[in-house]
Amino acid sequence: MIRRIYDVLFLFKEYVLLATLVLLSIGMIALNDNVQVRRIRTVATVAFGVVEDRLSFIPAYFGLRSENALLRRINVSLADEASQLREEKLENIRLRQLLGLKQRSSYPLTAAEIVSKNLTLLRNTLTLDAGRLDGIEPLMPVVGDGGLVGLVTDVSDHFSVVNILWNTDFRVSAKIQRSRVDGIVAWDGRTLALRNVAKTRDVVPGDVVLSSEYSSSFPPDIRIGIVSDVQIQEGALFKTVTVMPTVDFVKLEEVFVMDYLPDEERSDLEQEAKQKTGK
Amino acid sequence: MEHYLRSAAIAILLLLVQTTFMPFVALGGILPDLFILWLVYIAVRRGQIEAMLTGFGAGLLQDVVSTKFFGLAVLSKTVSSFAAGYFFNENTAEQTLGSYRYLSIVGLCSLLHNLIYFVIFLQGTEGPWLSSLVILCLSTTLYTVVVSVIPMFAFSQKFSTSWAQ
Repeated sequence: MIRRIYDVLFLFKEYVLLATLVLLSIGMIALNDNVQVRRIRTVATVAFGVVEDRLSFIPAYFGLRSENALLRRINVSLADEASQLREEKLENIRLRQLLGLKQRSSYPLTAAEIVSKNLTLLRNTLTLDAGRLDGIEPLMPVVGDGGLVGLVTDVSDHFSVVNILWNTDFRVSAKIQRSRVDGIVAWDGRTLALRNVAKTRDVVPGDVVLSSEYSSSFPPDIRIGIVSDVQIQEGALFKTVTVMPTVDFVKLEEVFVMDYLPDEERSDLEQEAKQKTGK
Repeated sequence: MEHYLRSAAIAILLLLVQTTFMPFVALGGILPDLFILWLVYIAVRRGQIEAMLTGFGAGLLQDVVSTKFFGLAVLSKTVSSFAAGYFFNENTAEQTLGSYRYLSIVGLCSLLHNLIYFVIFLQGTEGPWLSSLVILCLSTTLYTVVVSVIPMFAFSQKFSTSWAQ
């Protein structure tokens, strides 16, 4: 290789020498600081600028592939970051709402995340990532930022299952906030309704439905939903009051389990009374 | 070694003549360039490489003495010596030097030399740049060619004597 370079240099020795001597003399000229050299420097700078500008597409063209790959990588990374930020923003909003709920509640609350949902069955349930070791017990109420979610039915060490409002086994004594009309909220597999509301009672769409003091399983005044429709059927004793839950079960991700259990003395007494009357 | 010393002595002698005697024969500020005559002689007799090295050395000497524009004579003399080297032919060197071909080569190399020299030297000057360039180039070249008639006759005389022997 070196030999070949030497041969080429020897073959063109006159030109190599000329180039060397010309470069040396240009170097000497550049040492001057007179008007001519300043002028030449200006012209050279402008000329190089123009040429460089015209030829700038060459490296740009050859660098396009690697630049594209780099931009794609950055794009993926930024999209991932943006998605993460959006997720964190939404989580932040939810947690703020939950924090507000926690501050309003008069009972101790245990935060839990929903790890599984069954929302297409007659007996819809949620599975939470908090269990017996977190202080969760069966029959504890579960609330979200919108209001009542359901009731804990089964508990393991680290998980618990919740029967939600959309469950045919779920019942809660409720009242209309405005008119204090009582009833029982239950789900028939298609709609959530406030039952046992006499035809003559004052219930209109838009009324807020809360848990009532008659409930042994839930503390009073937990928001359940809003009355969305009231129907009076001919010959029937009760109104058909449809309730829209204030909790969006589809979007729900975090909940609180309330440290509230039914009063055993009250439950026992009510049970005893039922047995005496034979009911 | 003797060859290089002789070349150095000739260069110094030419420089002395160029700087002391030549101003007396200047026509309107135009001087013939004696170095060109010598460099063409070197190129025709000894080839391109030696002519370039001599041109570089002569230009350097001229620049050091003149202190006007360091490096300019080096560049112009190196390039013109390179061009003169294309007329090197060992077999016909003496005939070339003793004939009008010598004048032609001197004219060509002088024109190239002056073109490089004055294009750079006249940068940044006020007034008609192109006409100044043409006038200076052509007049200096013409004067140098006229002066080169003297060595041409001398070479002709010298080499015709050697041919006769």
